[in-house]
Amino acid sequence: MIWTIGGGKGGSGKSFITTNVGICLSKLGIRVVLIDADLGGANLHTFLGIYPPAVSLSDFIKKRVSHLNEVLIPTAVPNLQLLTGAQDLLNAADAKSVQKRKLVRSIQSLSSDTALVDLGAGNSLSVLDFFLMSDGGILVVTPEPTSIENSYRFLKSAFYRRLRQSVSSSSVKALIDDAMDQKNEMGILNPHGLIKAVKERDEGDARKVIEEIETFRPNLILNQVRSKKDIEVGFSIRSACLKYFGIHLHYLGYVVYDQDVNHSIRRRKPLVLENPRSRAAQCVMEIASKLARSHKMATRIKGYEHQGD
Amino acid sequence: MSIKGIKDQTYYEVLEVRPTATPKEIQRAYEQGKETFDVDSLAIYSLFSEGEVKEIQEALEEAYRILMDEESRRSYDQSQFQMAGELPTEEPSKAREVFEEEKTYLSFTGLSFNTEGEVYRGKALKQIRERMGVDPQTISMETKIPIQTLEWVEEEVFEKLPPLVYLKGFLKSYAQSLGLDPPKVIEDYLHFMEESRKK
Repeated sequence: MIWTIGGGKGGSGKSFITTNVGICLSKLGIRVVLIDADLGGANLHTFLGIYPPAVSLSDFIKKRVSHLNEVLIPTAVPNLQLLTGAQDLLNAADAKSVQKRKLVRSIQSLSSDTALVDLGAGNSLSVLDFFLMSDGGILVVTPEPTSIENSYRFLKSAFYRRLRQSVSSSSVKALIDDAMDQKNEMGILNPHGLIKAVKERDEGDARKVIEEIETFRPNLILNQVRSKKDIEVGFSIRSACLKYFGIHLHYLGYVVYDQDVNHSIRRRKPLVLENPRSRAAQCVMEIASKLARSHKMATRIKGYEHQGD
Repeated sequence: MSIKGIKDQTYYEVLEVRPTATPKEIQRAYEQGKETFDVDSLAIYSLFSEGEVKEIQEALEEAYRILMDEESRRSYDQSQFQMAGELPTEEPSKAREVFEEEKTYLSFTGLSFNTEGEVYRGKALKQIRERMGVDPQTISMETKIPIQTLEWVEEEVFEKLPPLVYLKGFLKSYAQSLGLDPPKVIEDYLHFMEESRKK
């Protein structure tokens, strides 16, 4: 299972959450690989308190090693490995979707159960594709206008990209491109307007678009909440997404603002190991156990599917 | 489905409740909706245009007005579901989906706010009630606790409260109506009351 963590803006806590949720999952007996794909500042190793790794994904892409396994870095935590350098691929302007799919398949073929990919705050097409290709995309947002604005921008881009990939007619694709531009000549103001316009052109594509919307279920983690009102913002975001996009955003949980987080980052010791009883660590643990549950559910469904094969 | 624009949604969809929602649930959904789509709300920042927000606010008001009135809700339901050729109960899958989310909401906040060790004193009960968006009138109607007594319970005006047997009964039904654990609420409340009296 591949989870991607993205959206928001720099400093919203994506790397902190990736690292600490990953550790919690590995404590629950799930084999985890953390994948650092942050373009701007790949430093999951720092969060884990290990030195910048000597091998990276580049070695695999450039065929210096034959299997992805060989570039995995062990950590002090049992069941937890690190893979860095995914940013090289996402950054490459010529990263073809074939290449991206190949990477996804290689990740899936690893012996670990779950991969957590830190996408950083990027908004590039490669990042969006990775977000959409994963089993679950997670947005990390802080209750501040800037963070929320960036997250909606990310979500909009991902949303329209997903729709665009699903339709076949080129005129509908062009329509979707138009819809992304707020000042488009078609007068499409929002997703509802887009659906109407698509319906007028192509009924088949309209059905596909609606199906894509119904099955697009990103997740939300609210970080650095300071009050009950902040926690409620998560529910409000969920409702706003339902009204605007028609999508069901899943509010996975929140992490309280906690000085212990800053201390742990400074000491380069993961919070959930250093101070598992802190309030923020407990929030992280709760999120991890939700992911573990859906992991268990997914493996059960998969097993069932294989039986049917 | 909310893939329809706000104007094409049923009142239930506007409020994000199931068609069999109780007045209490509608009240809560309405207050949440009002908060979410307040002009100053963080959650809508940069997503909706001013016009869209206004449209949603109006839709919320209208949905609330119609659904909170028994008479108008009944005639709305009739026209709505006759037109669609189905009764609200015939939509079990969708209804359940929304309902379950509602439940997660409650357990989620319950988990978050009743951090271990929180004492169910009057002020805490009031806070929980307000958070659920339920007004004292609704509670009073549901539990048959006189509204004045309910206020004294919440404000911890212990000298005005009825004799213990009655008080216990009130606390029990109050706890139930808030979805809290009655024995724990009774124990906490009485203990807190005793402690305060000692001082």
